Amino acid sequence: MNKTTEKDKPNLPWQFFSSVRLTISLLIILAIASISGTVIPQQGQGAIEFARKLSPEMFRFLSFLDLFDMYHSLWFRILLGCLTFNIIICSVDRFPAAWKRFRAIPRPDRDKPFEDLPPLQAFLVKGKLKESADKVEQLFRSRYKKIQKKETADRYFFYGQKGRFSHFGVYLVHLSVVLILIGGLAGSFFGFEAYVNIVEGEEIDTVTLRKKMSPLKLDFGVRLDNFTVQFYENGAPKEYRSVLSFIVDGKTVEKKNVLVNHPVQFRGVTFYQSTYGKVPGKKVRLKIHRPASPLEITSLDVETRKSVPLPGKEGQFSVVKVSTNLMGMMGPAVLISVRPEQGDETSFWVFRDQEKILKRFPDLMSRNTKLNSSAFKPYTFFLDGLDAVFYTGLQVNRDPGVSIVWTGFFLIIAGFFVAFFSSHRKIWVRLIKSNGELDLSLAGTSNKNPVGLKRELEHLTENLKDLF
Amino acid sequence: MLNSTILSYITFVYFGVFFLYLLMMLFAREILGRAATYVLIAGFAGHTVAITIRWVESYMLGIGHAPFSNLYESLIFFAWTIVLLYLIVEWRTKNRTMGAFVSPLAFLAMAYASFSPNINSSIQPLIPALKSNWLISHVITCFFGYAAFGLSFGLSLMYLIKRLDREGRGNIFLRLIPNPVILDELNYQMVVIGFLMLTLGIITGSVWAHSAWGSYWSWDPKETWSLITWLIYASVLHSRLVRGWKGKKIAVLCFVGFACVMFTYFGVNYLAGLHSYAKS
Ligand code: HEM
Repeated sequence: MNKTTEKDKPNLPWQFFSSVRLTISLLIILAIASISGTVIPQQGQGAIEFARKLSPEMFRFLSFLDLFDMYHSLWFRILLGCLTFNIIICSVDRFPAAWKRFRAIPRPDRDKPFEDLPPLQAFLVKGKLKESADKVEQLFRSRYKKIQKKETADRYFFYGQKGRFSHFGVYLVHLSVVLILIGGLAGSFFGFEAYVNIVEGEEIDTVTLRKKMSPLKLDFGVRLDNFTVQFYENGAPKEYRSVLSFIVDGKTVEKKNVLVNHPVQFRGVTFYQSTYGKVPGKKVRLKIHRPASPLEITSLDVETRKSVPLPGKEGQFSVVKVSTNLMGMMGPAVLISVRPEQGDETSFWVFRDQEKILKRFPDLMSRNTKLNSSAFKPYTFFLDGLDAVFYTGLQVNRDPGVSIVWTGFFLIIAGFFVAFFSSHRKIWVRLIKSNGELDLSLAGTSNKNPVGLKRELEHLTENLKDLF
Repeated sequence: MLNSTILSYITFVYFGVFFLYLLMMLFAREILGRAATYVLIAGFAGHTVAITIRWVESYMLGIGHAPFSNLYESLIFFAWTIVLLYLIVEWRTKNRTMGAFVSPLAFLAMAYASFSPNINSSIQPLIPALKSNWLISHVITCFFGYAAFGLSFGLSLMYLIKRLDREGRGNIFLRLIPNPVILDELNYQMVVIGFLMLTLGIITGSVWAHSAWGSYWSWDPKETWSLITWLIYASVLHSRLVRGWKGKKIAVLCFVGFACVMFTYFGVNYLAGLHSYAKS
């Protein structure tokens, strides 16, 4: 008495959160909410441009709803929280019943299952009762578990079952969904997403966080030893490879290759190949021509931003600026500044592809002293080559939730197989002695997949007939 | 190239198959249905050979990769999975009426791939991000999922049409469609297969994204739309399994689900994102 009233007492929050109507509503609300996030650009450049086109009221309204970063907004997280809560409460609510169905072993001598049997599943066989029952039992035991047996003077009953774990498939699926959500949450609380560019030969120990654009110091150093890029014949990129050394207390602890699709991990931090580029190196190779008798040509390797005496000792010069491709089309160039002993400083650009440029713009040099490599008389400068070095752009992440998410992924698939493709089948067999013949019949029930059950019963019938 | 020439002919074969299934429904002639099945099997064999040739040709060009890497190849593979799944269902159910509703999907996918001016059918080298075994499992599972949802769409359509059938309305076309209970059950099975495959597709996709970009989920529009699709079909399963919805409501939800599948596949290209490779 007490128990029933306890159960009948309406516990509204519990009822609310254990209802599948709530589940369906939440799933559909989440789906609709997610659509808005794919239509409104989220964060970044796209979002700024989009926001500019809006009226101020509209903009205020959308930002009030956090629609420019909705997947991380409070209300979206609350929806996910409700779903999680819904799954947990619903499972707790229903699990005892599933456990009962898992444990229950019905009596073998029930007659109800044998009502309304299809004619094929009840047939007469010849033989002695005891011997025949033994044969049936042997076959039955080889196929089913939890065999129950009951015998009376003129009849035998058998009960067997299989696939009782199928009741737990749903819980496995729901548990996995919760795991995946927890893993995602753990990642966003305890992990970070950052990036860093490293120039060949250099070492860094600080990366930039993507969200806040603030620096984050790692507890080890990373050096780019070497970077290579390969192209297909049509110019499309084929492979990028960064050779990284990981350095702890000044010692190289590990050396690893990072490629696209092949990240490396060091002390819980993962490095992904993301971009690359070239920056000018420190050295510039110049040729300097000073017409004198005898004609004098000097080849020099000059370090940038260092004063170097002119070959004729009339003053000093230095390479002030280096461009790997001036104005995006003129090719490599350096800006040279000459400070003579007397007179003003002169500066001018020197191109590596001088001849090509002169062919395209024949009067470029005479019109503009800034672009004239002979601007400081009597010298003419030539650029032989730039020393360009690669830098690699790495994505640097830490996500302690990944292994939880991976576990969830694995379990959800396992759960699907249990939930969808297994079923709890209960089979009864009855053997009755009547007028010197034996009346053999079999019946069964299943929690799902009635077609599969029917096929199994037909198959079992065949096998039983073959025994006699 | 040889493969795309063969594939453009297969388009016409599938159109012919659709026509035969339709004639079978209009005139209730068994022989027409049997002809449709045989032509479909022949077309499917040719389709398979052409995909294999494309695979081999990519190796002869020195940029060998499995033929699942751009929009053209994915459409061809989509049609292939639809036909394969349909043939299996036809063989299991011994019923051909679904053919008239499903073969147009295969035909349209092939026609779009072969004859749209925006789709490049040449074999292109793989950019580094696409060089992954996860890509292959991702594409295969996703497209089997899409194909199962495509069949579910066809079945839902049949269900709604069949409801027009009344006693004494001697319409052969309607009478040939199996009864609603069978359609509903078959539809449910397709949704289960599709949901399982879509889940696998999302999982393989996020494992791949994790190894390529460092994050298994970045709310990129294509990812988000596949999640939306997943949520819709999850609610289909729950409304049927728990709330006992059947028939019309489920059929309508399956329409919504398939619309999401189509948007995940094509519509998303109009929104920016990581998956923009599918634009070429
Ligand atoms: C997105 C999250 C969810 C997924 C992917 C999911 C998945 C599934 C699947 C695949 C089944 C079918 C299992 C079978 O064939 O027996 C199922 C059944 C079910 N789900 Fe969920 N589910 C989710 C959320 C929920 C929530 C929040 C609830 C809470 C009320 C819930 C309650 C149920 C119930 C009661 C069943 C039927 C169990 C039975 O057949 O006895 N599900 N779910």
